[in-house]
Amino acid sequence: MESMVCYVCGKENLSKNEIGLTKKLFDKNTKHFYCLNCLAEYLEVDTEFLLEKIKEFKTQGCTLF
Amino acid sequence: MIYADNAATTKISDSVLEKMLPFLQEQYGNPSSQYSFGIKAKRAIEQARQQVAEAIGAEPSEIVFTSGGSESNSWVLSSVSNGHVITSSIEHKSVLNTCHLLERKGIDVTYLPVDSKGRVSLDSIKEAIRPDTKLVSIMLANNEIGTIQPIAEIGEYLRRRNILFHTDAVQAVGHIPVNVKELGVDFLTASSHKFYGAKGTGILYKRNGVSLPPMIFGGGQEHKARAGTENVAGIVAAGYAIIESVTEMTTMAEKLSALVRATINGIRAEIPNIIINGDENNRLPGIINIVFDGVTGESLMHLLDLKGICVSTSSACTSGRDEPSHVLMALGLTEQQAKSAIRISYGRYNNIDEVETIVTNICYAYNKILAAKS
Repeated sequence: MESMVCYVCGKENLSKNEIGLTKKLFDKNTKHFYCLNCLAEYLEVDTEFLLEKIKEFKTQGCTLF
Repeated sequence: MIYADNAATTKISDSVLEKMLPFLQEQYGNPSSQYSFGIKAKRAIEQARQQVAEAIGAEPSEIVFTSGGSESNSWVLSSVSNGHVITSSIEHKSVLNTCHLLERKGIDVTYLPVDSKGRVSLDSIKEAIRPDTKLVSIMLANNEIGTIQPIAEIGEYLRRRNILFHTDAVQAVGHIPVNVKELGVDFLTASSHKFYGAKGTGILYKRNGVSLPPMIFGGGQEHKARAGTENVAGIVAAGYAIIESVTEMTTMAEKLSALVRATINGIRAEIPNIIINGDENNRLPGIINIVFDGVTGESLMHLLDLKGICVSTSSACTSGRDEPSHVLMALGLTEQQAKSAIRISYGRYNNIDEVETIVTNICYAYNKILAAKS
């Protein structure tokens, strides 16, 4: 799998969850990816909240995660 | 939380909940039992049947309680054993998937197109009718775009030709005036949780004199039409909920239309290129379906969810499939447009302050998504 870098802070090797969440929230074909912390800051929510959303998406059977 | 997905389900009304609760505890008798405790439950069901019948202009003997709208739809459609069926391309999946089952059994099904506003034309029905047409099933109001179909006009035509007519009125009953005699239908489907009743209770109107073989076999419940111990509490809720909804219908329609107008105006002021799907002059009062250029409906829905706002999109990817809505595609939208739509559906408990919050957050989410992608 291609290694992704956070568009904001430059964190390398974004996890599958971080890549999946960026795609899920913005666009499947997005070119820019975000680490969990930068995504939470950008969307003005807690990282815990985003982790909970990832669990929900997995429960739904979303294949992005 | 702001709940703006009332076309998916509604919150049960406090007074309706109060009426149904005793039938889960103190009055839990089986309506088929012959002693007083059971007969009280039976009486409650018959009262609900009377309430539902009154609300839609039917006779109590024409009302059958089911488990939900999907059962009612499946029951009517699957009763066709030969010949030809006509339906529209924008029906609920419970109609369309039952039609697909009929096709596998060798029955011909015609799926009528709709115009860009989602309307089925009487002319298209006239053209599709064949000597062996057994049933026509057209929904009264669409669940995604709210467009209301010319059911009375179609019903009058079909009655003269002795062709059975079913309408899926799940989104309409309790929200706009519905009278089965004026509509000229032989079957009508409704669902209690769409009008502030409880989930798990459907309604099937079956015109007296029309035959419908049972789909579920067992005891003689529901006047021998549908076997199975009745969902007494849910049925009681349906009766009270429909009366409440019909009583407040006019004022509610005005309120919801105002909320819809405020939403459209508010979003348009910030995002001028939105497209409103459906028939602006002939749709359910609380539903709006909006296309946002450049973002997916799924993204918008999720970002709104992060802010505690519930709206829906019919193109959400849940298990790897992200098919565009069959309804929006039938209107002539491109796949990209169909995937860029969200549905907001207001109900009894929404107010103008919530609309302002929704508008603000939609514009916020839209700009965030565009900026994140660019």
